[in-house]
Amino acid sequence: MDTRALLEGLRFTDTFFPSGGYAFSSGLEAAVQGGAVKGADQLVRYVEDLLRGGMSRREVLAAKVANRAGSAEDLPAALEIDRALDSTKLSRESRLASRQMGRQVIKVAADQFRRKTVLRGYLDAVESDRTPSHLAVCFGLTLGSCGWTEEQTAAAFLYQTAVGFVSASMRLCPIGHREGQQVLGEWLPLIDRISREVTVGTPLSSWSPIQDIYAMRHSGLKWRLFRS
Amino acid sequence: MSRPRKTHQTAPTKFVGRVGELRLNYARRDDRTFLAGSHCTTPWHLLPPIYLDEGNAAYTLLVNPSGGVVGGDRLSIDLRLDARAHVVISTPSANRVYRSLGELSVQDIRIYVGADAVLEWFPEHTIPFAGSRFRQTLHAELAPGATILLWDAIASGRITRGERWAFTDLENEIQITTASGGSIVERYVLDPTTDLGRVGLAGEWNYVASLYVVNDAVSSDVWNRLETKVAAILDKNPGQVLGGVSTPAVPGVAIKLLARTAPDFTHMLGDLWAVVREGLWNLPPVSLRKY
Repeated sequence: MDTRALLEGLRFTDTFFPSGGYAFSSGLEAAVQGGAVKGADQLVRYVEDLLRGGMSRREVLAAKVANRAGSAEDLPAALEIDRALDSTKLSRESRLASRQMGRQVIKVAADQFRRKTVLRGYLDAVESDRTPSHLAVCFGLTLGSCGWTEEQTAAAFLYQTAVGFVSASMRLCPIGHREGQQVLGEWLPLIDRISREVTVGTPLSSWSPIQDIYAMRHSGLKWRLFRS
Repeated sequence: MSRPRKTHQTAPTKFVGRVGELRLNYARRDDRTFLAGSHCTTPWHLLPPIYLDEGNAAYTLLVNPSGGVVGGDRLSIDLRLDARAHVVISTPSANRVYRSLGELSVQDIRIYVGADAVLEWFPEHTIPFAGSRFRQTLHAELAPGATILLWDAIASGRITRGERWAFTDLENEIQITTASGGSIVERYVLDPTTDLGRVGLAGEWNYVASLYVVNDAVSSDVWNRLETKVAAILDKNPGQVLGGVSTPAVPGVAIKLLARTAPDFTHMLGDLWAVVREGLWNLPPVSLRKY
């Protein structure tokens, strides 16, 4: 990857990017209130389990497919994987959060990379409610358009997700900045492995029943800091 | 049937008893649903439907006298409900998946629910034995106004023998498609020997189940009320049952739950089924008379 492509893609992975991700905990808040996550050790296990079983063959796979669609300017492939991902997201809050964050990404990307017709075509589909605009798809399309590889896109998506969990956990659990960095560091080998092992060409699948249940339970919490 | 299936009528004898087909077609006449057509090959055994509730639903047990599947078995079910039919499906006992040193055990289910018809699909859970290899697909297609209540559950294994999550691989795919083309998909691929196929934290539980209730003609108010009632039920046994409910991308509710023991699991199933029947049709629970 050349430096220009790196910098263009980094903007979309940076926490400074206005995706609104800080408002969502992906069910972690419900898991904390339910007693499943009380500190750093449990957070590590909970998120590792989600990244490995719940997201690797679903969101990460979708991001890789979308990356390929972005590189090849293949709009139908992007729309198809977006619909497929939407069907698998059973929790209303998680589904809507993913759509909302994806919409922010694709709006900026289509505006910035005007020469990429696939981004404009996809944004048109989003704005006319013809596609749900899930974050993994928008992210993959954008980084594919920037020249990032499938593996790099997958790793960046997982890293961004992991940072989101650490950020949320610091507001929900007794975890400080230094411990948060330590936790992130522990996840890097797993992120690297998932980014390489997930292969395009298989159907989306997911196994994270505990995290799925907490994502569903979030809407019923009596008090909430986060929107998911 | 919604889609023609490849038949095995000319298959060699080695497939006898291993490639079983079951086709059931229900129709409605006056106020009663009846079995309008059927076909089955070994190991499936056909029992005529009986009537247990005031809704005149045709209650049918899917009977596989062998009690389970072994490696190389390929069982299929084609179930069709014509318009306004109401069918309750269950099985007499758990579906045991025996150890296989080679081939997969496969079960493919195709369901078509006609306009304004109702299917309540509540088979007993699947028990994957240590070393078993199982792949199940269930694809349900709904016509306008059709309702499906679809329950799917697995146990960790033969729990009383201390055998938990010891299968070789397990794949499950559920797809429910409404008349508008929207769908719910649940698909998992468990292969505990691989990094991405581990059972993970769910391994601390013994039963994992999903219940999907879908009808594209029911208003969102009904689903929201049902979601509230289901959420209250799921909270009745904290520590022993962990469950969640939400509204998926198609009109309906999706429920997922984990349970530690068979009694907790069974009670929760009964409570959930009852609240859905009451919430949608103001009907009482069905007593399946299985002892």
